[in-house]
Amino acid sequence: MATTMEVEVKKEPEDETSVEPLDKETLSAVLQFLKKNNLKATEELLKKEANLEAGSSNGTSTRSEQDVSSVLSAYQSEGDPSMYETNYKNLKHVIETALDSRKVEQTQLLYPVFVHMYLELVYNGHEGAAVNFFEAFRREQEDYHQDDLVQLSTVTKKEHMRHSELIMNLRSSKYVLRLSRDSYQSLKRQLQEKSNNIVLNILQEHLYIDVFDGMPRSKEQIEAASGGMCGEAKRKANKGKMSFGLLKEPDINLLLDDEEEGGEGEDKPKKKKVKRLDIKKSKPDPNAPAQNRIPLPEMRDVDKLEKILCFRELSKRVHLSPDLLPSVCFYTLLNANQGLISVEISDDSSLLAAGFADSNIRIWTLTPKKLRSIKPADVLQELEKEAEDVMERIMDERSSADCKLLVGHSGPVYSTSFSPDRNLLLSASGDGTVRLWNLYTFSTLVCYKGHNYPVWDVAFSPFGHYFVSCGKDRTARLWTTESHQPIRLFAGHYSDVTCVCFHPNSNYVATGSCDRMIKVWDILNGKCVRIMTGHKSTIQKVLFSPNGHFLTSAGEDSSVMLWGLRHSNLIAELKGHTECVYSLSFCRDGNVLASGGLDNSVRLWDVKKIFAEAESEDFTSAPQVQHNDSSKLSLGCYPTKSTTIHHLHFTRRNLLLAAGAFSSSS
Amino acid sequence: MADPKIERKVSILSHESMKVIGESVGLASLPDEASYVLAEDATFRLKLLVQEAVKFMQKAKRRKLSSSDFDFALQDQNVEPLYGLSVPDSIPFRFTSGGGRELHFIEEKDFDLTEMISSPLPKVPLDVALKAHWLCVEGVQPAIPENPPPVDQEEQKVESTRATTHQKPIINPKQDKESEKDRVVTLLNKAKEVAKEVKRTKDILSHELSVEQQLYYKEITEACVGSSEPKRAQALQSLASDSGLYQMLPRFSSFISEGVRVNVVQSNLALLIYLMRMVKALMDNPTLYLEKYLHEIIPAVMTCIVSKQLCLRPDIDNHWALRDFAARLMASICKKFSTSTNNIQARVSKTFDKSLSVEYAPLPTIYGAFAGLSELGPEVIKAIVLPKLKPLSERIKNVRESSLSSNFDKIAAEHLKSLVLKQCSPYLKQARTGPDTPDAYIEDFGSIGSALCNQVQKLRSQPGLTANKPTIQIPPPRQSPLSSGPRTPNSASPVSRTQSGGSRGSMPRSVSVPGGPTTPTGKQTKFIVMSSIPQNSKSSTASVST
Repeated sequence: MATTMEVEVKKEPEDETSVEPLDKETLSAVLQFLKKNNLKATEELLKKEANLEAGSSNGTSTRSEQDVSSVLSAYQSEGDPSMYETNYKNLKHVIETALDSRKVEQTQLLYPVFVHMYLELVYNGHEGAAVNFFEAFRREQEDYHQDDLVQLSTVTKKEHMRHSELIMNLRSSKYVLRLSRDSYQSLKRQLQEKSNNIVLNILQEHLYIDVFDGMPRSKEQIEAASGGMCGEAKRKANKGKMSFGLLKEPDINLLLDDEEEGGEGEDKPKKKKVKRLDIKKSKPDPNAPAQNRIPLPEMRDVDKLEKILCFRELSKRVHLSPDLLPSVCFYTLLNANQGLISVEISDDSSLLAAGFADSNIRIWTLTPKKLRSIKPADVLQELEKEAEDVMERIMDERSSADCKLLVGHSGPVYSTSFSPDRNLLLSASGDGTVRLWNLYTFSTLVCYKGHNYPVWDVAFSPFGHYFVSCGKDRTARLWTTESHQPIRLFAGHYSDVTCVCFHPNSNYVATGSCDRMIKVWDILNGKCVRIMTGHKSTIQKVLFSPNGHFLTSAGEDSSVMLWGLRHSNLIAELKGHTECVYSLSFCRDGNVLASGGLDNSVRLWDVKKIFAEAESEDFTSAPQVQHNDSSKLSLGCYPTKSTTIHHLHFTRRNLLLAAGAFSSSS
Repeated sequence: MADPKIERKVSILSHESMKVIGESVGLASLPDEASYVLAEDATFRLKLLVQEAVKFMQKAKRRKLSSSDFDFALQDQNVEPLYGLSVPDSIPFRFTSGGGRELHFIEEKDFDLTEMISSPLPKVPLDVALKAHWLCVEGVQPAIPENPPPVDQEEQKVESTRATTHQKPIINPKQDKESEKDRVVTLLNKAKEVAKEVKRTKDILSHELSVEQQLYYKEITEACVGSSEPKRAQALQSLASDSGLYQMLPRFSSFISEGVRVNVVQSNLALLIYLMRMVKALMDNPTLYLEKYLHEIIPAVMTCIVSKQLCLRPDIDNHWALRDFAARLMASICKKFSTSTNNIQARVSKTFDKSLSVEYAPLPTIYGAFAGLSELGPEVIKAIVLPKLKPLSERIKNVRESSLSSNFDKIAAEHLKSLVLKQCSPYLKQARTGPDTPDAYIEDFGSIGSALCNQVQKLRSQPGLTANKPTIQIPPPRQSPLSSGPRTPNSASPVSRTQSGGSRGSMPRSVSVPGGPTTPTGKQTKFIVMSSIPQNSKSSTASVST
């Protein structure tokens, strides 16, 4: 499946330029139509007459359906461009006079019908009529559709249609709407009574109406879910089971004791107890996937040591709550004015990587420990390998510095990611490649080529070994560090995939896209298991909660949304930011969420209560939209002078680190 | 979002430009029809490219689309990007028309290579650096220079306009801990409450300053009036730029007001100047909004402008510079805070007007009032100053010619005259047209007319005057040595005034050149009045040489 998807995605507009003679195209369309309606005799006759072989009809059927449907619509609506306006008004009238409960639901139809009517007009060459129609009803559409409408308005000619990504999406895939059976039936009846053929045809050809039984949804519910480029998610898309629990912590008690000997101070015995308890307490999560569902790399001694250190730090953390707010340490990058694009801080908060527009990456150390590279190979050879301090001796003291420069990319560095052991760094760049850097030598190890278009984001798995990247080619790809080919390809977004994030159990990957949808993919089989719609603009950041049960997302529409993974429902929408939000971070116990972005402020949100409510809630059939007052959930807003917040990161002890570049002229 | 109709009409390339572009690539005559089709197609493609470029802008976390974003979008479509257009700010196109054509072109300046080689190398740009600071400590944002001011000017403004009376700010220590937004909300609510329940007693005003703030206050006030000039510069710099001063503002305000009151009585010129510089620094601070303290500050500044006596030796000391400086300060206060409700400018000019109108007002007062008025702008000069010129010039003439008048009066008259010349002539140059005849001027402005006429003519002949900052030298006051440390308002006791005529007659009249009076004292302190208002070099009254 993945490969066919790839073919479809990779098919560029340029490749489709092979224009076939129109009559052949229409002929095949007619054949298709006949076949669909079981008019076999006519089909045979026509085939004979047109001298087409039987096989070729199969060939044409594989042609992307949008051509076919567009040709069909061209036939059906020929000659009366003026009908569109009356038909649209008619539809509006039908909806306006409907019962209140249905009216709200049926209003959803207006936008897709409007868009497709316009496109049909354009397709049929009625440019003037199309523009008039567009201007007449454009203002009536919802605010969050206006961005798309601006894009549509640029297209007024048939020849241009295939160049617009948005139109190709609208034509090639059906716009998804959810209607209750009641509303749908009554609407259809009324339209048929009034013989509103154009609208009915669009309903048939371009819309996918997901009919459900039960109460019609309220206005708020619809608003919360709408906004996607191609409508909402189909209900069945979110029915699959998802194992979003955390994996069992590895058993490292034995090692803990060893480590403790070397540890500091007198209160050793106490600590040991606490830690053992901690580990024992974590009983297996019922939602957790099988431990070996995704093969994870074997734990090395270094990893175990790291894990222990992490535990020790975590046990010392501040338990944040509305009464005990975190401190924020802000790392400002000076003299970087417009150059800084991405910032990343390693999980143990010791390293900071910054990607710049000039293709460079800089790494800073945030601790007194300097950055050192290892000695050249010929010197290393002479070292005694058995020596205890060999790790110390391989380091070249002369190279110690606070900041290291990584040069290699030939495009802006849009994202970086540290491996859990901090030996490796990944970087995604506008040159279409992902690079893997070694932080011992500060040089490139591998250059992963595959996206060919700018790579927007890259993220290491929490267990290392795997990483995922996403880019302008509308795919996300899963890689292992040791292979230069992706092992999974997640295709299905309608537009650029802008951000990506690993689930803490490493079994899933979440992606956010320009098509305003969030998708969660299963790594095992590459299938999409969750789709969330509701954002009204490009999504710039997705993040799983530390316990893995929730997802948060933010983007250009300046709101932060919280989703439950169990039912893929919106838990809360946090409003407060005034401009695009680029960065999100959960505190280590998951009680406080920090967000920051272009409006130069860091905001803190109390999410403990709403998460607890969402967990305990007995789930009813219709997804509930919680009406949470974002001002009540807001814990604070801390503005900077003129520094965009590029990255937020909670240290293991729950100190919030923020980073951004100071821009002197706002 | 732009209006769709406007958008449609504006954002289509013209077919003429298609023709021009066609010509530039060698297509001599593009048919009209083709050019129309091309224009539409090019428009569409451009729009697509811009939409793509926006994605690159968003990913680069910027608000502004740059030419590099556009290049990336081009690259993405497999089109060669435009080289050489990577300008940092605006688009480098210039517009020209001629020969019935309108064209945009890229301005390419010729560089002189020899000049470039011989000129010193430009500074190496600073390297990217990482700097950490506390944005917030346990939920409280500390007031450090790295953070924005806790309450910015706009909010202070809102607060001061909402408050019912000239109430000093109510700052409870509790509120400090709340977030900035909450604070404003509570303040607004408080203001509403106050408005609603007039009966209810007002909250007790508590200005609790932390120990650090108290220390800071002490240090700053001491440095501001102390003897060490570098320290003072630092203190003033701190007052003018630090962001956390909001809560200390009432203290500074009363410090200044009290200080002026005491030092006017004592005629301590130097301290008065220091205090005025403090006012100036506070005014300059972008994070402070002084409106609530104007009732203390304006009288203080006003005193420094029009007071009869500001120093112990009015004939020698340069109190004129203080008056000028304070007058400029007053003008900037008026400009910044005058509204239709408080009418500051009108009230201030009325006060000045009153002191000008008083018969036999002391000359320094007249000087101050005149300076204050003329700083308020040409409208005020026209409405208030010019009508007063005639009696004024009579008075100046009388003083200068009368053998009875004291030496001090003569100096004052001289100063007044040069001030009139300086301030009125630029306005007259604008307002009066035609030939400047001395007679007409004398007719209108009395005896000073001929000099004014000269000055205007001079101005007309040399249009571009360079601006410079006046330097004043002020002898240290005799009675209060500056080294004696800061004066707190309480410790100072009123001292009986010395008569103005007490130390006159030491200076021959011929010495007092229009450039300004000389001060024969050898020991001198030199300072520069911080001023942003450009002065005419010719008529700067304040520069003095030994």
